[in-house]
Amino acid sequence: MTLSGFRAETLKGLQGYRNAGDWEEMKITIERGALLKSLNHVQSVVERRNTIPILSNVLLRADQGQLSLTATDLDIEVIEAVDVDVATSGGTTASAHTLYDIVRKLPDGAQVEVVQNPEDGRLTLQAGRSKFALQSLPQEDFPSMSAGDLPHRFDIPADALSRLVDKTRFAISTEETRYYLNGIYLHTVDEGPEPMLRAVATDGHRLAQADFPCPEGAAGMPGVIIPRKTVLELQKLIEEEGGLIQVGVSDTKIRFEFGNVTLTSKLIDGTFPDYERVIPTENDKMLKVDGKVFAQAVDRVSTISTEKSRAVKINLDEGRLTLTVNNPDSGSATEELAVEYDSAPIEIGFNARYLLDIAGQLEGDVASFLMADSGSPTLVRDSEDESALYVLMPMRV
Amino acid sequence: MSRIRRLSEGTVNRIAAGEVVERPASAVKELVENAIDAGAHHIDIIIGSGGRELIRITDDGCGMSAEELPIAIERHATSKLALDERGGEDLVNIASLGFRGEALPSIGAVARLGITSRSQGAETAHTITVEGGDISPIEPAAGPEGTRIEVRDLFYATPARLKFMKSERAETTAVSDVVKRLAMAHPDCGFTLTSGTRNMMRLEAEDLSTGEDEARLRRLAAVMGREFGENALPIRAEREGVRLSGFAGLPTYNRGRADLQFLFVNGRPVRDKLLVGAVRGAYADFLARDRHPIVALFVDIDPGEVDVNVHPAKTEVRFRDSGRVRGLIVGALRLALTEAGHRASTTVADSTLGALRAQQPTSYQPGSYPASPSGWSDSSASWRGASASVQQAAHQAQAGFAGLAPSGRVEDQPTETIDPLTGEVTMSPAAPAPVEFPLGVARGQLHETYIIAQTADGIVIVDQHAAHERLVYERMKQDIAQSGIKRQGLLIPEVVELDEDAAERLVARAPQFAELGFVLEAFGEGAVVVREIPSLFKKLDVQGLVRDLADELVEFGEALALKERLEEVCGTIACHGSVRSGRRLTGEEMNALLREMEATPHSGQCNHGRPTYVELKLADIERLFGRR
Repeated sequence: MTLSGFRAETLKGLQGYRNAGDWEEMKITIERGALLKSLNHVQSVVERRNTIPILSNVLLRADQGQLSLTATDLDIEVIEAVDVDVATSGGTTASAHTLYDIVRKLPDGAQVEVVQNPEDGRLTLQAGRSKFALQSLPQEDFPSMSAGDLPHRFDIPADALSRLVDKTRFAISTEETRYYLNGIYLHTVDEGPEPMLRAVATDGHRLAQADFPCPEGAAGMPGVIIPRKTVLELQKLIEEEGGLIQVGVSDTKIRFEFGNVTLTSKLIDGTFPDYERVIPTENDKMLKVDGKVFAQAVDRVSTISTEKSRAVKINLDEGRLTLTVNNPDSGSATEELAVEYDSAPIEIGFNARYLLDIAGQLEGDVASFLMADSGSPTLVRDSEDESALYVLMPMRV
Repeated sequence: MSRIRRLSEGTVNRIAAGEVVERPASAVKELVENAIDAGAHHIDIIIGSGGRELIRITDDGCGMSAEELPIAIERHATSKLALDERGGEDLVNIASLGFRGEALPSIGAVARLGITSRSQGAETAHTITVEGGDISPIEPAAGPEGTRIEVRDLFYATPARLKFMKSERAETTAVSDVVKRLAMAHPDCGFTLTSGTRNMMRLEAEDLSTGEDEARLRRLAAVMGREFGENALPIRAEREGVRLSGFAGLPTYNRGRADLQFLFVNGRPVRDKLLVGAVRGAYADFLARDRHPIVALFVDIDPGEVDVNVHPAKTEVRFRDSGRVRGLIVGALRLALTEAGHRASTTVADSTLGALRAQQPTSYQPGSYPASPSGWSDSSASWRGASASVQQAAHQAQAGFAGLAPSGRVEDQPTETIDPLTGEVTMSPAAPAPVEFPLGVARGQLHETYIIAQTADGIVIVDQHAAHERLVYERMKQDIAQSGIKRQGLLIPEVVELDEDAAERLVARAPQFAELGFVLEAFGEGAVVVREIPSLFKKLDVQGLVRDLADELVEFGEALALKERLEEVCGTIACHGSVRSGRRLTGEEMNALLREMEATPHSGQCNHGRPTYVELKLADIERLFGRR
């Protein structure tokens, strides 16, 4: 991880010795539930193991009736604001996971008094008869992610963003050498009847793409690759927050604002491959099948295949689909489905895991598969939802 | 005056000496090779100060006459190249070790060289000396038939070279290494090597009349150690005029360095990467990557098929068809290993016995009393400690064996296993007579990890996890061989940029890679595109793999990385899919495992070259108890 983008002076003091005067006084009182919810949001960004001690901490800053909590791993920063009773305004940092665990175990409805002692650098938490004194580090040392200018700004409904992420996330690569595939490629396209905001992910074996009508302000934004960890954090926040999300994008950063939570992330610095070339357009063998029935059948027959190479063979003939799995070790399985198919017979193999992943995304009653031959990519679509598509490379069996 | 001069003869010789004689060991090599070419039956080598002060080599070969002596020390003079029909020297068909005629003048140019020689049947010997290139007149001398060459003060004429000499010890080792290699190739010749007053090597000429292979194995064992003799598999193969013979160590008899791998081409010790690659390929299945087998292979090939004139020291050779030689080596090694699938090395059993016997007081043996009083008290202390641990072990063993079948008529006894926690005894039906099975009948499980089986003439201890892992692995290999490797197509093919040669080499091997599920094609100049990969790989660094393959093709002429990765994946799957240590097995399960091991090839060692079982013969056990 690079440290670029952070103020040099904050990094200088990251591990130095501290004097009594380094800490600021702070005193707040907050209801346990509110603190827990906010801590929950920010602590998941914090890595369990850190070489820079302050990165294990959450930054607490109290001012004008509000407490803001900040956590970062130097790539992602989450800031959340919550209303509190501020007796003395100020700021400090303390271990995010420890704080979270403490607050989680406090009784429901407890009032938590949080006090930073400026003399010995201890942060005390008091709730009822429980009292904790935690090591803290001065807030000056906490790295802040300077987002810089975010020239492209647009609003998008939470459920729309959620859908873009959900439909594509499974195809994100985890293989580190092609780092530019380790995220979702978010960009705008203007080729159909109306401009679209498009999310694409691929691991080199399969690809998923989802579209949403381009929100105002998004047109002209650069194509950006959102890292996998950011995608996960984003999804968690969307589930809890909802509403309208304000998105800001620059060449190197992206920011999502949900009312009182802000997620800022660096982007993957790389070029996403020209994915449109691998989306087949000439495939003429059309199969229509009930997505749910198909998924269940694939799941059933793949029981027999070995863990590692879960190959499923699909035989298509007029109106009939046969799924076959052969495992010399444990036997074989076949299942026949009645389907809509009237092209020439074809035999094609797929990784069962990949088929199930895609089948899991199909929501409508009818899924359509467009195939060419046993060695070329197959296109899968939800026939009721034209805005998402999946491409899958066959397996040679 | 012209600025360009011809160099003097002496300078020319000194330059040539730089190539041929770079250290004492290379001088020894040249001289011993001369002796072998002279048909010697015994060669006596004496060195002083690592060969710097003195190298004296005495042979009983054909010798030289007084007329031949001065010619011998001239450059490019040799008796070893035959004239072909047109009267030119035949550099293609070279049957002797030397032929360049550079050794003696080169040594003479940089040292004080003395040659005393008496040809067979001649009345007297003659002697000639050369000191830093100055030749003395020939004088009659006394001496036996054969030649004695004395080299003193090596490199005194080239002080620069002297500075680059390593320590005396290092040079001595190098000399000994050279002599070892030559001795391995020539079992019919006796060798003695003396460094100063220390006798370093004494090898009697082996009697070839008992069979060439036996003689050779005796010689190899004498050079590399008795253990090699016991753990070597004979290698013998012939294909299209190339004859391969020699011996290869069992996979379980391995070592951490690849320093005991020898290749001899037409009796000439060579260092060749071809051997490294071929050996690694042949043993890939049996050894972890950081363990190395021990082999000594002899290639006999039509001298016209191999160019030995690549390097002045002739340590490198060039085969006209290296693929054929490599294929022959890999094939022959694999065959021998397959046939020996069930032999674990004797070193395993020996070390087991050694470990057991270490508990005995050595002082009981006459003549082995420790010399010093303090040594005596030490050893008696350790004996007390040892006896305590023996008793303890015996006590444990008794407890552990308490419920086992008392060995009377074992054939009819049912197999029993005791649960160490509950004392519950599980009975299995009466096992068949052990004599029918090489690995015997399971008698019990110790520490829920080791299976003890009784064979007709001993006991077998099986590591259940290692053994089962190997079985699962072999089954997977069989599956793959039957149904082929499944390939996952790449939606976005991966282009790997290489240099042009590397790309060409890879593309030439493409069909071979395709068989392993890795499909690549040429992609313009200096790049390949990977279209399909084995579906066994979950995550694969394609770029890295392709580069590794390309590097290996250059280095070993063989691309092993892909196969090794596949084996690694299979190995991991096998490890997860096999019975772990700590799992209790019933008698039937244990016997089934033993039977399957007997039926499965290569079940004698696990994927990392460790043995899966150890066999102790009754005779060994009796020895342990002093019954023999």
